[in-house]
Amino acid sequence: MARVYNWQIRREMSYWYPENRPQKQFAAVFDINKCIACQTCTLACKTTWTSGKGQEYMLWNNVESKPYGCYPLAWDLKLLKQLGPQQWNGGGYEGRTIFEAAPAGQRVLGWRPDDHDFSYPNVGEDDCAGKIENGTNLHFPHLTWFFYLARICNHCTYPACLASCPRGSIYKRPEDGIVLVDQGRCRGYRECTQGCPYKKVFFNPLTGTSEKCIACYPKFENKLQQQCFLNCIGKIRMAGYISQPENAIPENPIDYLVHVRKVALPLFPQFGLEPNVYYIPPIHAPDSFLRQMFGPGAAAAIETYRKAPDDPDLAGLLSLFGCSEQVMPRWKRENDTIIGAEENGAEIVRVPLREPVYIREAFDKKYNVARVNCP
Amino acid sequence: MRPLYRFVVISISFTFLLPAGCQKTPPPPLTEVAAVKASSIPAKSDAAAWNAAPEFVAKLILQDLVEPRLMTASTPEVRVRAIRTDREIAFRLEWEDATRNDLADPGNFCDACAIQLPQKFEPTVPAPQMGEAGKTVEITYWNAGWQAKVEGRGDAITDIYPNATVDHYPFDAKSLEKGSPQQQEMAKRYAPARALGNAMAGPRDTPVQDLIADGPGTITPAAANGSKGSGQRTAKGWAVVLSRRLPEGIAAAANPQIAFAVWDGAKEEVGAKKMRTAWINFNVKDQP
Repeated sequence: MARVYNWQIRREMSYWYPENRPQKQFAAVFDINKCIACQTCTLACKTTWTSGKGQEYMLWNNVESKPYGCYPLAWDLKLLKQLGPQQWNGGGYEGRTIFEAAPAGQRVLGWRPDDHDFSYPNVGEDDCAGKIENGTNLHFPHLTWFFYLARICNHCTYPACLASCPRGSIYKRPEDGIVLVDQGRCRGYRECTQGCPYKKVFFNPLTGTSEKCIACYPKFENKLQQQCFLNCIGKIRMAGYISQPENAIPENPIDYLVHVRKVALPLFPQFGLEPNVYYIPPIHAPDSFLRQMFGPGAAAAIETYRKAPDDPDLAGLLSLFGCSEQVMPRWKRENDTIIGAEENGAEIVRVPLREPVYIREAFDKKYNVARVNCP
Repeated sequence: MRPLYRFVVISISFTFLLPAGCQKTPPPPLTEVAAVKASSIPAKSDAAAWNAAPEFVAKLILQDLVEPRLMTASTPEVRVRAIRTDREIAFRLEWEDATRNDLADPGNFCDACAIQLPQKFEPTVPAPQMGEAGKTVEITYWNAGWQAKVEGRGDAITDIYPNATVDHYPFDAKSLEKGSPQQQEMAKRYAPARALGNAMAGPRDTPVQDLIADGPGTITPAAANGSKGSGQRTAKGWAVVLSRRLPEGIAAAANPQIAFAVWDGAKEEVGAKKMRTAWINFNVKDQP
């Protein structure tokens, strides 16, 4: 094993291959607080990429209700149990990653889901964490909690699928860091389906090869955001590129949210993969749960996010989510206007900091008729 | 030794010696795989012609040289017989396996077996685990899942999960004439491995694949060696016939070698996780 640096856990760690970062790294921010689990992203992906034979059960994108939802079954709990209790110390991780905890004979600590684990794609939907007592009514803040976790491949800097494959059939593109399975080379050993902790590689039983999210690379190569991003009606997602923390560019939306404001966090950073989808954690879930899922920065991220109404830069950038199909590598705020731009500064889109509100009276006095919301 | 004990020991000794003297002495175990020459290659594993070939019992060992390693031994041995003609050579591999595993899905693996020969017969053999750089090995690989497909398992999700229902595939749209080039082209879009010509992705007309390797992790489909094969379940496991063209130069080689491997799908053996042999002496000289 080689020694590589993982900034998310603030230390060197063991990995199967030497550190070899791409020229640019695809990354995304998902604002969990905006997700309503409509599954439009799931369907957008499904109809675009996995409508073929043997792909019936594949959900390269899925949305699950936490704490009980999961696809495949208990994907996170099983690995957390395998890994056992581990320790963060401040912002640094002192526990073992899944590479460092690999059992003898294996490259990665993992488990392989079988077809039963894929039989319940939306198990736990809307199940909340606590018991609803008889007579409970609507109460703010809510008496118990759940939240929706939208998941795609994290296109990790240190992919466990790539490390697991004994024949080098999985590769990370140098131009954008997207992780792909070479469909001409894969022999369906399913080491990757065992190794990926996020369970985002799927075995196709009819072609005998494994397949995964491709980050819609034909679109991304053309500076367009992915299908699941474009179709998100909650506008929770933004795609772009991420820099290393020491090279963070505040004008880069992903860098600003992840590195500058630290409001977006990786999913299970303790696994050690340096995943590149970052989540703004839900404001209403307990810190202990969020700390386990997103690392020690969860509480501070929520504190920052809660202040967004009084923070025109943060609120402004969040309002840019979902406003263009184009990837926006740069952004800026001009008073009450937020501008998404190309890398060279060329404007792509501009949006108001706050959408204007128009109040329509319920009764139209001119026509002496009550207004309804149906057109 | 006290007298009573001496009597007991002598009696026991005679008890074992007497029947042994009445039995035929078993032949010494073979030290090589020996191919007998015949006019044709039997296609079926139960053909009487196999009885003319001596049986070599190859002990299998764990593949524990490279990750992912197999950590727990499974299939202990494979019984091998070999027959050759002037152009072809065939092997019958038999091993015990309590379960038929011929369906690959996310959590299930197929039984399989393979033979391995050096591509060139030189004084030093390649590394036994998949050869090495510059010392290529040729592999003939049989897979129980492919056998099931050749024997008629269909290419639909309902062939794997009979109760599955699918609303619609884009390539089954009414606007596409079934079987037309346009329809097939559309189907390929949703089967990328097939579109790229990956031999794993079928459709299959043989349960056997010719492969070459230059070390662990390098296995690659080979130019055809004319391999054929067929596997059948036996009372205790599998009997698989594998045949290929006679390797060039093998008859004149000083000390040709061969190796075998077996995968037990029930134990999740796949790829490098397998039971294998070391190199074994391989005699292809004309037998008397």
